Amino acid sequence: MDQEILLAQIRQIDPQNQISPKKTDLIALEITATSLHEVMRTMRKQPDLSFDMLCSHTAVDWLENGFELIYVLYSTQFRQSLMIIVNIPRENPVIPTVSNIWLAAEAQEREVFDLFGVQYDHHPDLRRLFLEDDWVGYPMRKDYKDDFMLESAE
Amino acid sequence: MGLVAQMDQISGGSFILTRMDEVINWARANSLWPLVFGTSCCAIEMMMATGAARHDLARFGAEVVRPSPRQADLLILAGTIVKRMAPRLRTLYEQMAEPRYVIATGACTISGGPFVYNSYTTIRGADQIIPVDIYVPGCPPRPESLLYGILALQKMIKSGESLREPGIRKKPVVSELPPGVKLEDITLELRQILGDEGITNIPEEIARREWSTGL
Ligand code: SF4
Repeated sequence: MDQEILLAQIRQIDPQNQISPKKTDLIALEITATSLHEVMRTMRKQPDLSFDMLCSHTAVDWLENGFELIYVLYSTQFRQSLMIIVNIPRENPVIPTVSNIWLAAEAQEREVFDLFGVQYDHHPDLRRLFLEDDWVGYPMRKDYKDDFMLESAE
Repeated sequence: MGLVAQMDQISGGSFILTRMDEVINWARANSLWPLVFGTSCCAIEMMMATGAARHDLARFGAEVVRPSPRQADLLILAGTIVKRMAPRLRTLYEQMAEPRYVIATGACTISGGPFVYNSYTTIRGADQIIPVDIYVPGCPPRPESLLYGILALQKMIKSGESLREPGIRKKPVVSELPPGVKLEDITLELRQILGDEGITNIPEEIARREWSTGL
């Protein structure tokens, strides 16, 4: 499947969503948080897309511009990668889970919750993954501070 | 000092007169069984480079790497220690039998290294958790450095602890190259220590093995 066909497919799913103009090696698709679950399900289930693998899921903290959630999908059948980007506000970072679509998402979402504090709706087991259970705050946020940290000398 | 050397000094070599301390320290220093606590890049350097055939830790009697703290008497710390690991490290140290020695290799275990600033979880130095005998600087240290560290520890053991005062050691020791000492000097010293098993002049031997910085 070449990229043009893939893009045409994706435009059909939801004309509202825009193909991101971002310059990345992968085709990047920017969608809204509300349509995330719907789009993801289609990506996985529709036979001519069949993105059956969630390679990675992570987040970027853009401070006043909110969190950017990134999902990298791969189709083992068509050997095609796709990047899905969702922007959510920083104050109330809630997003539906995709762990019922790809099981691999469960641990990856837990990691993002652990370090960024993104709340995943309907996640089966949203607990700390790497940090201690009683840790306060989310250390990968850019404004994170605690008493233990040393500021660099300069 | 070699036990053989002590025997040879007595004519006929049929019996030994020495302090128990010397015999025990000699035995301890030459059969260090390390427990490896490897958490990151330093561990790779230690396992792949220092432990492998080219540098051959076995020459110094420290090649029997144990996975269990109960069987080990030297804890080699190699790699970054984080907050979550700290209690486990403490437990490992406490499970080792006395006498136990600790070598900290690499900037991370000495001070937190490259992660000392703006890190929410890196422990700034292993000596905040457990006592450390030898510090081997580097990021990661070269195999020669670690070998030099082990030799430094052997010197410390041989010259140090006594049965009357167990646990009293001369420490800490920095195995960093003192000013003026070059890598060739170390190689030479290694070769001499390896070669000289049959030395008869004990006082001279003791004098020769003194630290150039003064232990
Ligand atoms: S001191 Fe350097 S090489 Fe060793 S663990 Fe730390 S970062 Fe890695």
